[in-house]
Amino acid sequence: MKLLKPSLIALSLLTSCSVLAEKIAITNTTIYTAGNSGVLTNASVVFEDGKIIELNPSSIKADVVINAEGKILTPGLISTMNQFGLVEVGAVSGSRDGSAKKADINFDPSYAYNAETTLIPFARKGGITRSLIAPSSWDSVFPGQAFTILMNSEFDSVIDTKTAVIANFGGASKDSRASSLIELIEKLKGQQKKLKDAEQASAKAEGDKPAKAKEPSDEEVTLTALLNGEKPLIASASRSSDLLQLIKIKQQYGVNIVISGGEDAARVKSELANSEIPVMIKVVSNLPGSFDSLHASLTTAGELEKAGVKVILFSSDSHMAKNLRLDAGNAISYGMSEQGALKAMTSNVADVFNMDAGEIAVGKSADLVLWSADPFEISSKVESLWINGEQVSTESRQDKLRDRYISKENKPRGYIKP
Amino acid sequence: MRKFALSFTAISLAALLSGCSGNEAQDPHVSINKNPYPSTYKPMEQLTILIKGATVLTGTGEMLSNSDVLMVDGVIKAVGSKIENGSATVIDGTGKYVTPGIIDVHSHLGAYPSPSVESHQDGNEMTNPVTAEVWVEHSIWPQDPGFEAARAGGITTLQILPGSGNLIGGRGVTLKNIPSPTMQGMKFPDAPYGLKMACGENPKRVYGSRKITPSTRMGNMAGYRNAFVDATEYKREWEKYERDYAAGKNPVAPERNLTLDTLKGVLDGDIRIHNHCYKAEEMSMMMDLAKEFNYHAGTFHHAIEAYKIADDLAKNNVCAAMWPEWWGFKMEAFDMIQENAAVVDSYQNSCAIVHSDSDTTIQRLNQEAAKIMYRANDAGFKIDEAKAITWLTLNAAKSLGIEDKTGSLEAGKQGDVVIWNQNPFSVYAKAEQVFIDGAKVFDINDDAYQAKSDFLLGQD
Repeated sequence: MKLLKPSLIALSLLTSCSVLAEKIAITNTTIYTAGNSGVLTNASVVFEDGKIIELNPSSIKADVVINAEGKILTPGLISTMNQFGLVEVGAVSGSRDGSAKKADINFDPSYAYNAETTLIPFARKGGITRSLIAPSSWDSVFPGQAFTILMNSEFDSVIDTKTAVIANFGGASKDSRASSLIELIEKLKGQQKKLKDAEQASAKAEGDKPAKAKEPSDEEVTLTALLNGEKPLIASASRSSDLLQLIKIKQQYGVNIVISGGEDAARVKSELANSEIPVMIKVVSNLPGSFDSLHASLTTAGELEKAGVKVILFSSDSHMAKNLRLDAGNAISYGMSEQGALKAMTSNVADVFNMDAGEIAVGKSADLVLWSADPFEISSKVESLWINGEQVSTESRQDKLRDRYISKENKPRGYIKP
Repeated sequence: MRKFALSFTAISLAALLSGCSGNEAQDPHVSINKNPYPSTYKPMEQLTILIKGATVLTGTGEMLSNSDVLMVDGVIKAVGSKIENGSATVIDGTGKYVTPGIIDVHSHLGAYPSPSVESHQDGNEMTNPVTAEVWVEHSIWPQDPGFEAARAGGITTLQILPGSGNLIGGRGVTLKNIPSPTMQGMKFPDAPYGLKMACGENPKRVYGSRKITPSTRMGNMAGYRNAFVDATEYKREWEKYERDYAAGKNPVAPERNLTLDTLKGVLDGDIRIHNHCYKAEEMSMMMDLAKEFNYHAGTFHHAIEAYKIADDLAKNNVCAAMWPEWWGFKMEAFDMIQENAAVVDSYQNSCAIVHSDSDTTIQRLNQEAAKIMYRANDAGFKIDEAKAITWLTLNAAKSLGIEDKTGSLEAGKQGDVVIWNQNPFSVYAKAEQVFIDGAKVFDINDDAYQAKSDFLLGQD
C-alpha cells in the first residue's frame, strides 16, 4: 500500500497506468457527493475499474492511497450544449462542424467529432469530465441531436450518440414563433397517428395472416422515442409564453422537455416545477438581449432552485467552458445553494440525460475532481482529476505557450519547446 | 483637452489686427470647433463621505489595511488612517474593501445595446475601410440597461468605441456611468477623444468579401498609411494657413474634411489611438506605423499575443488591454495564454489593462482580473490585489488620458469609489456602494440608489 500526497499522484499514476485494475482510495477528503449523502467530511472513497466501489469504508484496502489533506472532492463536472470536437477556431470554416446545411431532427454531428481538439484539455482545467455536445443552428427548428463524450481526449471518448433532440423556439427573424411550435406539434401528432394506425392494423390483422410491419424511418424512431418520453427534447426558449406552450406540449404528448436558455423562466417557475421540466440556465445571461428575455437576472438560477425546478447550469462557449464552476459561484452569490449549484453541474445533468456519473456514490463512474480549495472560487484550481477512474492531466497548449515565453533561456523562442 | 469654441471675439480681434499689418485685409480667421457636442454632465448629490476601517486598494499599487477614505465636495480629500471629519456621513468599512471606481477602456454599451435588435446595430459603420469621420457618441442610446448592470459591478467610467470592421473605425468617447437621457449628460468632461483602429482579420474580411481593398493584411497596412499620408498633408495645410494668417497674410483656409480632422487630431496628439490588434507581428508594425507618421501608438486592445512582445510594448510606452482567457473564436485569437496580462505587467513602464468588450463581463471586471492574478500566481508569478487592481483603474485611466482626474484613491482626484462587501478578487464579491464624483450612484441594499433604464420601466 502506497501513501501519497496529492503532489505525488501524478508520479504514482505514471507507475500504475498499465495496471488498470488497481484499486485507488482517496482519503482525508471533504466529499461533496452531489447526491443524497450531501457533504461528508474527513471522508474517503475507493474506486476500481472505473467505478466507485466504496464510500467511507470502515477500513481502507487499496493499491494506491491518496491523502487529500482535507481538500474538497467533487464529482467531475458535466457541461452541456458545448461543441468540443466540433469546432477548433470559430471563424475557420473548415474547423467548424456543429451545424449542418440540411439539418433535421436526426442530424448526428458525432460523425464529425475530434477527440484531439485543443479545447478539451483547456476545459479540464475547470474540472469538466463529461459533456453533452449539441449541434447548433438558428436557421432550423431542429438542428439535430446531441451526443455524450468523456473529456479524456481518447479516440473512444464518444460514449452515447443521439442522446437528446435539440429544438429552437422563440423569436425568429424570418418567421412567426408559432411556426416552430406548430412544426413540433405536427410531427408529434403525425407520429402518434401512425403508431395508433399501426396498432389498429396489427389488432385487425390478428387471426388473419399477420401484416408485414413496415420498417420505421429514422425520424419515426426519434419521434416515437420522444412520445415515449425516453429521449429528452432540449427546447431553447425564454419568453414565458413560449415556456407555457412547451409545458402544454409535455402535458399533451408526454415529451420529456428540457428548457435551455430560459432567461425568463422565473416568470413561470411554479408551472415549470409542477410539470417537472428541468431548466438549463446561463447564469451570467442577465441582460434583456431581446424581447424574449426582458426578465433575465443573475437571481434566476436561485429562484428556480427554490421553486423546486431541476436546474442545470451551462455555458455554450466551448472555448471558455472551464468557467462553468465560476458561473456557479456567481449563481451562489445571487441566491443558489452551494450544493444546489454543484448538482446543477453534476447529478442533475446526469439524471436528465441518463448518465452513469455526476455523483459520488457506490456504483457511479469514478469521475472525480480534487480541488485545491472551494471549487467555485477563482483562487482555487483543479489539483487532480479522474475520468472513469483514470487520472487525466489538465495541462493544455496554452501552458506550453506560456512556458516558452516566460522561459529565461537565452535563445530564440522557437527553439524552446516546453 | 482645451475647448475651441468658435470665438467671435477672436475673429473680430484678428480682423482688427489684419487691418494694420498687411496690404490685403484679412478675412475672419477660420478655426475648427473641437468640442461641438460638449459634456453637460452634472454630478448627483455630493455628500461628505467618510469610509472608516476598510481595506483600501489605492490603485497606485498599495494596499492599506484598516484605513479610511474621505470624500468632500466630490473629490477625494484624504486616504489613510484615523481620518476624522465632523460633518461627514460615516460608512463603516469593517471587513470591506475600497477601490477606485472601475474603468473599462473597451465597451460598446449604448452603441450595441440590449435589446440587441436590428434597429440598435449602431456600432460599426462598415461602408468604407476608413471612417475616421464617424463619432460613436452619435450612436449611443443612453437607455441601454447594460449601463445599470455595469454600474452594479462598480464601473464608474467607460470608453465606448466603434466596432472593428474598419481599419479606422471612428472616434470613441469616454463616459461617466451615470443615468442621463442624453449622451452629453454622461460625457466625461475634458476627457480626450479616442480613435478606434483595427488590425487583422476583421477589416480584411469585411472589405475583401466585397472585392475591395483591404483584402489582405498588407492591404490593411496600405490603408492606414494612405490615411495618414492624407492626414499629414491636411495638417501641413492647416499649419501653413495658421502661419500665414499669423504673419498678416490673408490665406484661404483648407477645405474642411471631417475624416482628416480626426486623423489630424491624432497627429496633433489630441486624440488617442485605441487599436484592436491581437497579434505580436501586427502590434509591432503598428508601433512602427506610429513612428512613421509621428504619433503615439496608444493602446492595443484584445492584445492576445502581447506576452510575445511584452518588452517592446513597455519600451514603446504603449498600453495593452486584455481579456483573461477569450480565445479561439478567430485564428488571430488562437495563441491565448491566461497569464498574458501578468507577463505584460512584469516589465518596467508597462501598462497592463483588463478590459471587457462585453456587456456581460463588464459587470465583473474584478473577477476577470482575479482570474489572471490567480492563474499567473499558479504559474509562479507573485501578483497581489494591490497590483492587480491597477489593471482596472490607474492603468485604464492612463490609457484614456484621464489619470490626472480618476483611477486612484489619491487626494485631489474625483470621488470615483467602490465599496466591496469583501475582497473584490473573490467570485462572491459584490459592489455594495458605488460613488461617482463623490455622489452615491449605486447601493446594493437600497432600491433608491438602483437606477432603472426607461426601457425596462413598466416591463417587469
